Formats: sequence, C-alpha cells, structure tokens
Amino acid sequence: MSATAEQIDADAEAAARRRATFRRYTRHPGFMIGAIGIALLVLVALLAPWIAPHSPTRTDLMNNLAPPSATFWLGTDQFGRCVASRLIHGAQVSLQVGFFVVLISLSLGTVIGAVAGYAGGWVERALVAVIDILLAFPSFLLALALVAARGNTLDSIILAVAIAYTPRIAAVMRSVVLTIRPRPFIEASRAIGLTPWKIVLRHVIPNALPPVIVVATVSAATAILAEAGLSFLGLGVQPPTPTWGNVIAEGQTSITSNPLISLSAGLCIAYTVVVLNLLGDGLRDTLDPQMRRNTGKLL
Amino acid sequence: MTAAFELRGLTAAVPGEKGAVRLVEDVSLSVRAGETLAVVGESGSGKTVTFTSALGLLPKPGRVIAGQALLEGEDLLALPPEQLRRRRGARIGMVFQDPLTGLNPVFTVGEQIAEVLRAHLPISRREARDRAAALLGRVQIPDAARRVDDYPHQFSGGMRQRVLIAMAIALGPRVLIADEPTTALDVTVQAQVLDLLGDLRASEGMGMVLITHDLGVVARQADRVAVMYAGRVVETGTVEEVFRAPRHPYTISLFRSIPEIDAPAGTMLAPIAGSPPDPARRPPGCAFAPRCFAVSDAHGCRSVRPDLIGAGHFAACHRQGAIEVAA
Amino acid sequence: MSPLLEVEELRRSFSGGRTLFGPRKPDVRAVDGVSFTLGRGETLGLVGETGSGKSTLGRLVLRLIEPSAGRVRFEGEDVTAASSSGLRAMRPRMQMVFQDPYGSLDPRMTAAEIIAEPMTAHGVRRAEAMRRAADMLGRVGLSPAMAARYPNEFSGGQRQRIGIARAIALDPALVVLDEPVSALDVSVQAQILNLLADIQARSGVSFLFIAHDLAVVRHVSDRVAVMYLGRVVEMAPRDALYGAPRHPYTVSLLSAVPRPDPAKERAKARIRPIGEIGSAAALPSGCRFHPRCPRARLVAARGVDAVQAAGTRLPRACVEQDPQLSPAGGGAHLAACHFPDEA
Repeated sequence: MSATAEQIDADAEAAARRRATFRRYTRHPGFMIGAIGIALLVLVALLAPWIAPHSPTRTDLMNNLAPPSATFWLGTDQFGRCVASRLIHGAQVSLQVGFFVVLISLSLGTVIGAVAGYAGGWVERALVAVIDILLAFPSFLLALALVAARGNTLDSIILAVAIAYTPRIAAVMRSVVLTIRPRPFIEASRAIGLTPWKIVLRHVIPNALPPVIVVATVSAATAILAEAGLSFLGLGVQPPTPTWGNVIAEGQTSITSNPLISLSAGLCIAYTVVVLNLLGDGLRDTLDPQMRRNTGKLL
Repeated sequence: MTAAFELRGLTAAVPGEKGAVRLVEDVSLSVRAGETLAVVGESGSGKTVTFTSALGLLPKPGRVIAGQALLEGEDLLALPPEQLRRRRGARIGMVFQDPLTGLNPVFTVGEQIAEVLRAHLPISRREARDRAAALLGRVQIPDAARRVDDYPHQFSGGMRQRVLIAMAIALGPRVLIADEPTTALDVTVQAQVLDLLGDLRASEGMGMVLITHDLGVVARQADRVAVMYAGRVVETGTVEEVFRAPRHPYTISLFRSIPEIDAPAGTMLAPIAGSPPDPARRPPGCAFAPRCFAVSDAHGCRSVRPDLIGAGHFAACHRQGAIEVAA
Repeated sequence: MSPLLEVEELRRSFSGGRTLFGPRKPDVRAVDGVSFTLGRGETLGLVGETGSGKSTLGRLVLRLIEPSAGRVRFEGEDVTAASSSGLRAMRPRMQMVFQDPYGSLDPRMTAAEIIAEPMTAHGVRRAEAMRRAADMLGRVGLSPAMAARYPNEFSGGQRQRIGIARAIALDPALVVLDEPVSALDVSVQAQILNLLADIQARSGVSFLFIAHDLAVVRHVSDRVAVMYLGRVVEMAPRDALYGAPRHPYTVSLLSAVPRPDPAKERAKARIRPIGEIGSAAALPSGCRFHPRCPRARLVAARGVDAVQAAGTRLPRACVEQDPQLSPAGGGAHLAACHFPDEA
C-alpha cells in the first residue's frame, strides 16, 4: 500500500514540478515577448497565401510607386507590386533561413564541439584547428564563395550560412564542455562504467546546451540578417522571389522619393532580430535549473 | 570590565518571497580583551552572517534591521560608511576561511600588507615595506625579510593564512574576528596556525572571536563559547561549563554525534535526525523542536520561542531542568 | 582465500610540464610505490594530508586514473591489464562515492535517474531500473516520493545519500569512498557514517575509506594506512595504530587533532612536525619525512651516526636510506621508519 501511496506522491510532485517550470517561463517578460513575437511571425509566414492582400509577384506598371492606401497597405514598388504582400511572403524565406541554419549548425556544431572538448588530445587539436580556420575566414566571404559555386538558390544560401555558423557553435560548445569535463559528475559517470559516447550524449551535451542554445537563437537572427545582406547584394535568392533583402535592394532605387519600401523591410528584419534576442535572453535566464531562486542559497 | 566587542540584539534579514527572512535574530554576544570567544554552528546557523552584519559587510540585499555592534563602546552600525571602513582593519581585524581568495595574485605579499598600512597610516612606501617584513616575522614566516617580496602562489596554504593574519593584525586591532581560519588547512598546519593565533591574542591583549564548526578547536582554543542554531544563540557559557554539562539539546546532540578519537572502539554515533530548517521556513516556537529528543508540547516547545536563561551559563530551552536530570 | 583487492607497488607520476622558457619541471610522484590488500567486508582507512596522494591512490585502484607502474588485482582479475570493455564489465563490482555531494550528481537528472543510471548502463531495462532506484532511495533513508526531484532540491547530506545509493545500486564488492563526509555538517556526518556501517553490515561490501579526519577514520576502519608524500608510512589494525603509533608522522598527526575536551586539550603535550608537508615534485633523500621529523632530531642528539641535513644534525640512516614498510611492534603493524621503537 505504502509503495503505491508514495508513487502517487511522486507523480503529484512531478506534475507540480512541470507546472512550476511552465510558470518559470511564463513569468519571464522577455521570454514571453520573444516567444509571442516569433509565434506571430511563424503564423504570418504560414498563412501568407491567405492573408497577403495581393500576389507578391504580380506587377502593375501602371500603378508603380503608389503611396499606402486601403488596397496597397504599404504602397507598391517600382514594378507596381504590393510591398505588404512581398514582406508577408518574404517572412517565409527569412524564417526558413533562420530555422534551417540553426538546425544544421546546432546539430553539427554541438557534436563537433562536444567531441573536441571531451576527447582532448590530437582529436581536439585537429578539430580546433579546423574550427579556428573557419572562424578566421570571414563568414560573409565564405557564403559568397559558396553561393558563387553552387548558384543562388535558397538551399545554397542556407547551406552557406550554416557552414559559416557551425564553427561558432562548435567553438562555444567546446569551451563550455571544457568547463564541464573536470566536474565530478563526469568522473562519477566514468566510475559507473558508461562508455565515452554515452557520457558525451547523456551528461556532457545536456549540461552544455543552455549557453549554446542561447548563442544559436541569436545566430538565427544574424543568419536572417546575412540572407538579407546577400539578397541585397543580389547574391541571395533571385528576384522576383520576395525576400526582405530583395525588397530593400529594390526599394533602394526609389529610396529618396519612397523610403517606406526599404524602411518597412528593414523594420521587419529589426523586429525579427529583436524578438529572437529577447527569446535567447529569456532562455538563458530560464533554462538552467541551478538558477532557480532559493533564499536558502544566500547563506 | 567593559567588553572589547559586544553585539546587542543583532538582527539581520534579506527580503524573501513572503516578507523579510531573518538570517540572524536577536544575537547578543561579547568578548573581552585577551579573551577568545568561540562561535560554533553548522552551515546556515548564522555564525558568519552575524559578524559580517556587525561589520557592515553583509552583501546586498541583506541588511541589519535591529541591534548594535559595540567596539569598545562605540556602535559600528551607527557610524557613517566611511568611518566604519576606517574602523575595519584598524581597530577590528578579520581573517577568513579561504587563504587563497583573500590575497591578490598579482601583488607581492609585502605590497599587500603595506597597502593595508598605508591606507590607515601616513608612512612612506619604504617604511611600510619594512613594517610588512616585521609583521611576517611576527606570524613566524621563516626568512621573512626575503619572502616579503614573494607572490602569494609561492606560499603554501598555511603560510598564506599566516600572511592574512599578518594583514589583520597590521594596525594593532583591539579585536580579531577569525572565520574558520583553519578549516581549509591540514591538521598539523591547523595546529600551528591555532598556536599562532593564541600567542598573538596573549601578546597583543586582543579580544578574539573564533568562528568554527569544530568542537575540538573550541576546546583547544577558546575561553567562552556560543552555540548558534537557525540564526540564534542557543547556548553560551565558559568552555568548561558548556563541554562538561551542556544544557541545550542541540549542544548535547552535537557532542553525541561526533566521532571522538579517544572514545572506546565500537561506540555508535547518535546522529541528529533531519537537517537544519531553511531560514525562510523556520518553525514557530523553538527552531530545534523538530529534531529535538526532549521536545514536549506541554512545555510549549512548538509554540513559544525560548529565551536564553541562566546565570553565566545560558541556554535557550524550555526543558533545561528536565534534561539535566535525564543526562 | 585470496583477498578481495591486492595492490602491488602502485605508482603514478604526473609530468611536471614545462615553463614557457625555463627547463622542464620535475615529475610529481603522486603515488610512489604503494602495496596493500583489502579483505572481504573489511574497511581500510586511508589518511593523509593534502598532497599525500591518497585521492590519487583511490582513483588508481579503480583505474579512473591510469597507473604508471604496479598492479591491482580485484576478485582475482588484473584491473591494471584489463581492456577498456573488460574494465567496464568490472565496474559494477567496484564503485566510488565522491567527496563533493554538490558536484558529483548531474544537475539535469532526477534522483531516480541518477541512481538508475549504473543499472541501465549494465543492461537493466529502464522501467525496472527506475523501480529499483525508488527502492534504493528508501534503503539510503530518503523517501521514494523524492524520486522526481533534482539534486539542487536536496541538502548536502541528502545528496550524499543519493551518491551512496548510486554506488551500491549494483551491489558492488568494493566501494572507494573519497572523503565522503568532509563536505557535510557535523550533525549530518554521523547520519552518513551510520548509513555506511549499516550498508556494510547488510551486504558485506568492502570499503576503502579515504579521509583526512583521523577521528572519522578511526570510527569506521578495521585497519588504517597513513600516507605521506606518495607512500604508506604506517599501516596497522585500528587500535594498534591509534593506541601505539610507530611512525613519528602518525604520532604528530594524532597529537595535532584537537579533542573536544577542554581539560585534555590543555593538559596535552604536543608533538609538532617541523614546517609543512613538502612537495611530491622535490622529494627529500632517504626517508621523505626526515626534514620535518622531531624523532630524528632526538635520536641524533642522543649520539648515533649523524650527518648535517635540513639545517640540523640528523641520523645518517634517515638522510640516506629510504625506509621500507616493515613489521614494527608485532602483529600486522607495519611502519616505514628507521627508529620505530623510539618513543
């Protein structure tokens, strides 16, 4: 009987714990603003075909550079395309870039960094050399070279930016792992007979991830900026596909008479970068169970 | 005879989720010139917080909400910060547990002692260095005149602790507060440092407060002892009285729970069940009641906070008389 | 029957490395030729000061650190020669409890996950391991209802109980305990010491109990070994060692421990070693304790063949010959001193 009673106690406690964790996130204003901001953006990107008032690529040269109106919320560009619709569709490209770049660079960087940091010896020296070379190489230039070699499709942009970002994640991961490796629980897991791979997967990576995830979230923002930058230079996704970088580039020709085009695309990018940074800071504050407030700790 | 250093009703708190959390409560202690008072307690008992509060060193957001800290009759807590800073170091010295973090690795030990001297006295660099060397000699560092130009990493743990003691006594303080000065040291080195502290107290006529968790160190070094539990003093008296006939159940249990090096073999230890309460959730009544072997509802252990009662030897327990009979 | 654990001439030195431009630093001989055996159900206490090599020795025995030389046999198998998978297969039988109850538990795992991990690592299914982990919590005096809590929600003593539960989860024959109570408050130390005694009485596990606190070691041990600068200088059954220590280092260690008894403390004559423990990177010649040895000074003053050393006159033997651990005072009492019978 008592065993079942204790099981019920344990289950109740686990449920209370989940609620407490949830509260920890919901009570962090930065995290909530960031999360809601990103959620809105994702929603806009997913529903773009339905909420955009016009086709983003339909030109109407009779009605170019129109001022904002009820039909064209942000006016039209020099080809008469609806700027608002282009920005709404452009969110799709930006979010894809941010998401896939983080997915690729986080998975590769985490493993490379963890192996380098934990293995030590020649493995570490070799990996660190590669990471350092890639880091020293200007990432924008690397992206340029890759786009030049593979052609400027969305895939190659994502790949280029991801390759440029992987060493950053790996470098952060390795430095965090170096602080985890000497901690006694790692020795404890060797003492119970775990294989090195299991130690890395079960103990090293989970404990190293919080700061890395924060870096990754912020990299999503800079990846979106990088794509915009490439597009602005004409090396990104080819027009007429709507991306925020393309909108800025196209708005450039009429920037003195109609600054709203470039400005609104710039604001979209700024908004995304800000919400991602808020989310990253929020994650940093809430991810670590050690950071829970506890008055007893003051002594 | 007036006390060299006296605390009266000192209470310090930090803001908590449900109002102020009292880290130490109504602590009254005194130490006379030439005397050693040992303050004993476990982590979280408030033994360190008591003295950091008294010297205005309690980290924010903690603060003293009541009480006085009288250094030769002058209330430190009523002084403006700048004057309090001048008292610290000059008239009241401090030695802390960790001999490594107390020293700056990029300056020689001589420079660090000289800095203390020059902060309070109008003396030249050269004179400060000479006095630093003399101080190192006083704390029995061999070859002091040469080692005054060494860096902290060139000293062993015990030697670093001697350097910190030299800094603490540099200005001839009336009171020396030593917080676990030997806890990080090995037992043979501990003995040497304790000897040194005892000699200095006698030769300088300082009042000494020795904060420790080690009852052996208390027996060896102290004249009087105050036992703290959950932020309060629960028993105080001369070392002989408290060790011969402890009156508070916590003190009694503490003696029964430590392995003694001379006890007959095979003695079972009688541990104190449970752990000390979180300062934010101390029980009403006596804070030790949940772990006490003599707890009794009829005497109000769980509802009424006991006062320190006695003459010379005090204890804060509702059951004092009954326990003495039982033990 | 052969003993559970046999350690022969175990050595480990760490390379001193190189300063930026200077010459190569000398190697640190952390453990410098240690031999002992440990029987089933026995507790061997290992005492020594910082730098004595006691923690390194504990890790060498479990091969958490690779030895430079020597051999460890455990249950008849050669630990030092085992392959990495062979070693992992031995791990369930030889476990470790660590000093730091805060750092030795993964902060991102629950108490039950921590205790279940050695079981899942050695082939127990996860559901079964989690169920047994809840039982283990009960066995070490915690409530099974605490299974879902994280380490930071436990006190130091409770965390050490979790560390002990993890070590005994697979029913080992040997547990190396590295300063298991030194980070705990005095009132909690006794709880953990009693728990360990209780576990040993029930399971017959052997303990290698490493600590600097001589009173604690006396309380738990059947036999005690005293280490100084990488060597065992004295090893004897507990009462012999504490009652009639033969090595001057042991004598001064015991004399230095403050007793919680004011009358005894004040009456006591103290025998102090001179100075502080040296460095294992620059070992003295002959007996490594000679520069600090009060007995050597007395013996030299009495007029044996003496030489000038350590700023005074010391017996030639102490300065020139390295004493071996050999019988002194009868029974299983061993001491590494040229003059073990001097008072």
